[in-house]
Amino acid sequence: MTDDRDVLRDVWFGRIPTCFTLSQDEITEREAEPYYLLLPRVSYLMLVTDKAKKHFQKVMRQEDVGEMWFEYEGLPLKWHYPIGLLFDLHASNTALPWNIIVHFKNFPETELLHCLTKDAVEAHFMSCIKEADALKHKSQVINEMQKKDHKQLWMGLQNDKFDQFWAINRKLMEYPTDEGGFRYVPFRIYQPLNERPFIQKLFRPISGDGQPHNLGDLLKEMFPAAVTPEDMEKQYQVVIHGIEPMLETPLQWLSEHLSYPDNFLHISIIPLPRD
Amino acid sequence: MADAENDGGPSAEGDAEARSPGGSAAPPDSSAAAAAAAPVAEEAQADAKKKIDVLLKAVGDTPIMKQKKWTVERVRTIQGLSQFIKKFLKVEATEQLFIYVNQTFAPPPDQDVGTLYECFGSDGKLVLHYCKSHAWG
Repeated sequence: MTDDRDVLRDVWFGRIPTCFTLSQDEITEREAEPYYLLLPRVSYLMLVTDKAKKHFQKVMRQEDVGEMWFEYEGLPLKWHYPIGLLFDLHASNTALPWNIIVHFKNFPETELLHCLTKDAVEAHFMSCIKEADALKHKSQVINEMQKKDHKQLWMGLQNDKFDQFWAINRKLMEYPTDEGGFRYVPFRIYQPLNERPFIQKLFRPISGDGQPHNLGDLLKEMFPAAVTPEDMEKQYQVVIHGIEPMLETPLQWLSEHLSYPDNFLHISIIPLPRD
Repeated sequence: MADAENDGGPSAEGDAEARSPGGSAAPPDSSAAAAAAAPVAEEAQADAKKKIDVLLKAVGDTPIMKQKKWTVERVRTIQGLSQFIKKFLKVEATEQLFIYVNQTFAPPPDQDVGTLYECFGSDGKLVLHYCKSHAWG
């Protein structure tokens, strides 16, 4: 059990060294130095980039500063995706630091959601947790909690307080003893450069005849090409929090330990470069 | 069935009860059997059905849609649906409209209704509540 708790901590405290550079398009009064940050994998861009914003605003005129947005290699980064997911999906096999371009104008309306205040991040985060619990417990656990418990989940994330967050989140990871696991596992499977945003479907952690499903079972159902037969060449990497978990890993365990704070397993399937 | 809008908006089902999806596998419901049984077969049939049935319900003093039942393309996003409802209700595009699933959570605007139907649909349709203010937090 101690090892399992270590996993929770490792996931929570994962960081990505990032270099923020101001876009060449922005008008500045003097040259802007790049800004370096260790971004928490489990958080959201709009929650952790206040200092970067202030840094770049210092070299710009007030009237040139519009809504901030981020881009990586020409791709606008969706702030409502957790940072770790964005990195795994778009920059997995590239050299660190992660190089992100910062913009303050020409907001890409059709590609990004606006994020005018931290309230928008909180609303989105809580909605994801509620959706996850609808799948896991028919919303029973989340609905039984008081508003202050909901608030504690958010404050824990916002202030990077592992214990504060998990004091409440552990309740969302419980299940009736005779069930063996959650009703359905909250998961989303993403591919870089794909038309559809993600794959999300109903999938039980325990099969009808009581057999625990594993990651391989989930993939066989949702993305069979990612499960390569032994004698064939591997075509895809299946990445969660920057690692490739073994396909034999029980899905219930993955859901309890490798979910993001929003209680979803965000899984990236990355095509391996062909020679 | 005439389309309500020319811009590819959801098509109307008419005044009658929404047709139950003919011949396809039952959508996910609360029984254990549905999800456990032949998921591949279900998936193939579900994919073949490009549109899903949506039932729109107003919350609080938000105006009620005269037309509540719609057939919507799976790939339509929550944002697209929200824009459609606002247009239909003659609500300003700049005004906020929140859409809830299970009267519990508001999916992100870029989520498609097809995924929501797969996970939260029942009795052959996806029930969505809409509101001009925050209804369920």
